[in-house]
Amino acid sequence: MSSVPMKAAMTPSKGEKNGGSPAAPRQASAGAPVSSTARRRARTGWLFASPALLVIAAVTIFPVLFSLVLSFCEVRLEYGGLRLGSPTVAHYGTLLTHSEWYRALAFTLGFTVVSVFAELVLGTLVALVLERLGAARGWILALLLLPWALINVVAAQLWAYLFNGTYGAVGWLCEQLFGTQPDILGQPAPAMAALVAVDVWKTTPFVAIVVLAGLMLIPGDVYEAAEIDGANAWTTFWKVTLPQLRPIVAIAVLFRILQAFGIFDLPFVLTQGGPGTATQSVAILGYRILFQNLDFGGGAAVAVTTAVIVMGCCLLFLRVFRAHVDEGGRA
Amino acid sequence: MPLHRRALLTGAVSAAAAGLLAGCGGKDLDDLLAQASAVPRKPARLTWWVSEIPSRRGGVVADLIIRAFERRHPLITVSKINALSTSDGNRSALTTQLAGGSAQPDVYLGDTTWPAQFGHSSLALPVEKLLPGDFWDAYPPALRDSSTYRGKVYAVPFFTDSSYLFYRKDLLAKHGLRVPRSWEELQHTSRTVQRTGDVEAGFLWQAAVTESLTANVTEFLADAGAAVLDGQGRAALGGAAAERAFSLMAGFTAHGITPRTVATYEESDSQDAFVNGRGLFLRNWSYAWVNANTQGVSRVAGKIGAVPRPGFEGTGRSGVSCAGGWSNFVNPSSRELGAAVEFARFCAGDEVQRLLAREAGVIPAATSALSGPQARAAKDPTVLRAADLRLVARPVTPYYPQVSKALYTPANEVVRGALSPAAGVRAAGKGLRTALEGRAL
Repeated sequence: MSSVPMKAAMTPSKGEKNGGSPAAPRQASAGAPVSSTARRRARTGWLFASPALLVIAAVTIFPVLFSLVLSFCEVRLEYGGLRLGSPTVAHYGTLLTHSEWYRALAFTLGFTVVSVFAELVLGTLVALVLERLGAARGWILALLLLPWALINVVAAQLWAYLFNGTYGAVGWLCEQLFGTQPDILGQPAPAMAALVAVDVWKTTPFVAIVVLAGLMLIPGDVYEAAEIDGANAWTTFWKVTLPQLRPIVAIAVLFRILQAFGIFDLPFVLTQGGPGTATQSVAILGYRILFQNLDFGGGAAVAVTTAVIVMGCCLLFLRVFRAHVDEGGRA
Repeated sequence: MPLHRRALLTGAVSAAAAGLLAGCGGKDLDDLLAQASAVPRKPARLTWWVSEIPSRRGGVVADLIIRAFERRHPLITVSKINALSTSDGNRSALTTQLAGGSAQPDVYLGDTTWPAQFGHSSLALPVEKLLPGDFWDAYPPALRDSSTYRGKVYAVPFFTDSSYLFYRKDLLAKHGLRVPRSWEELQHTSRTVQRTGDVEAGFLWQAAVTESLTANVTEFLADAGAAVLDGQGRAALGGAAAERAFSLMAGFTAHGITPRTVATYEESDSQDAFVNGRGLFLRNWSYAWVNANTQGVSRVAGKIGAVPRPGFEGTGRSGVSCAGGWSNFVNPSSRELGAAVEFARFCAGDEVQRLLAREAGVIPAATSALSGPQARAAKDPTVLRAADLRLVARPVTPYYPQVSKALYTPANEVVRGALSPAAGVRAAGKGLRTALEGRAL
């Protein structure tokens, strides 16, 4: 993953705002007159990119816009398919006046913050250990990656068996150790904790791999310099390693925020959003409104609000993290 | 000329708008019914969305039905689409396809709680004009009521599910106990046998936050004589009878008769526990008989019995069962409406109903098939006693999913002990009102 797209995404350069293409050479963004060669090159660039753009338009841009339109329309089902009626903001009004939506949002936010934080800390620790390992690294890496390589639904079903109250191994283990069998998925707090635990188990390897890649990129001479300056291991980690890791950690965390916020499969398989509505994420709520209640406008409104909130969270994170990737990690 | 972002965006928006206009159609219902009224005289292909039907003798029931139909209609070929195993999962998969106006599946098997919602959303063809006048005389009235919404019929009978109390014959005999006739006696019997250590759980049932729990709540409320809706279809949940039903559900877990994990149980979980010998009693749908009584699949095969559910002491009401089951719906976007309607009618007819009694571990919808020689030969108590049940229909409303959620969410909390029975009834009553008005999420 190069830092160019990140930069483009976060700080659009002046040239792009003026309608220059990202493929145009540098002088274009300085507002200088563009040579005909550069223009021809840009056109060739677009030509090569167009098939990919068309595919993206078909499978990403169109559905997103379609959801947006649905969420602002009266939607009727008639013989032969969907019918869009008059524009309305009622779907959003319904959401904003229902406590269930706020509860789903609170659970999703909490789940995201806790699981991403835990994955980041654990993943970094694992990466630091892996970096120290020599020959065995490949094997251990392969083992570590297993949970991440598992399909989500399969992993969720696996844990559903482990947590099962009747014959689950986790309950049996607790009974051997503490003498009582806890009701893990049947009570709100343990059910939430179980979901976080499964997510951490599953996704820590991903964070570890990304952070490990970042560690490998740090040049050795900065460590030598730190050693000559008399820094101990702790200081070196805080003052040298972490600042250098900043951009890569930012990427890892952004990925995770996006994924964790859309969490669907784990609670769907493990708890169906229960007990009560304790683990109903916004994705599950949206699914229920759309596919169970057949309220297409309402379901689209959940999707759109979720997308807006996720973007807000990502921007907030970047602001707090001050991750200017192009400045090599300096704030 | 360099492309601009704005140009790209405009292009995308217009493409989206064009896409929105295409594929959205209003078809005229009279035209559809005219097409549906004639069985085609030229070759036609049908697809049938069907979940696995429990089999008594190892044959694939759906294939047997298809073969029988193709023998009668040599010009029509039917192919199966294997459906999912849960009601909610099927609804999601089907609605996506049907709302998009897909011509497949032509006929689909759906839950008896769907007709109002599917009819309201134009996902099922109203077939009352395509059925003979005396059609419903052959089926239970509860099934006619649940298939009808605002005078139109959206589902053609196939088979019904009723719930029973399954019990361990061997353990009751060992301790000299009789099959309980009331919930109070069941609790006492359970505790007696549990204390001996012969069995972990007394009573297994379903209390996960799904439709399964709604069916159970419907039954317990009917046991106690509490109404969910009044005569005008308005919410009427509340009062002492409803609290008695909710107290019973809370009591099962509070007294340890039911494991606390029942709050995460769906049908398959409770059945697994029972067939592995972990429970004395099980409330489940009729199909559990075949699963629990088959050697090699079940550890308790040959040691079980099934009776209609007990009731509360002093009410004189027992044998209540939620009216469940699966019916055939016709996709209004089908290109073979005539053949599709014919197939749905055929599945409701004598030949298939007798075939179900002989081959399938389900209760045929036609009342006559329940007492026929095929049914007697199968020696299945859930079929033989089906006529003795008091069937209770779940509310018929286009907002059924919301209604179901309004019932199962507080009920689940009552079972877990997070809400008192009285508070649970209040929450369910309030949620039910909101749901019936279409104002629930």
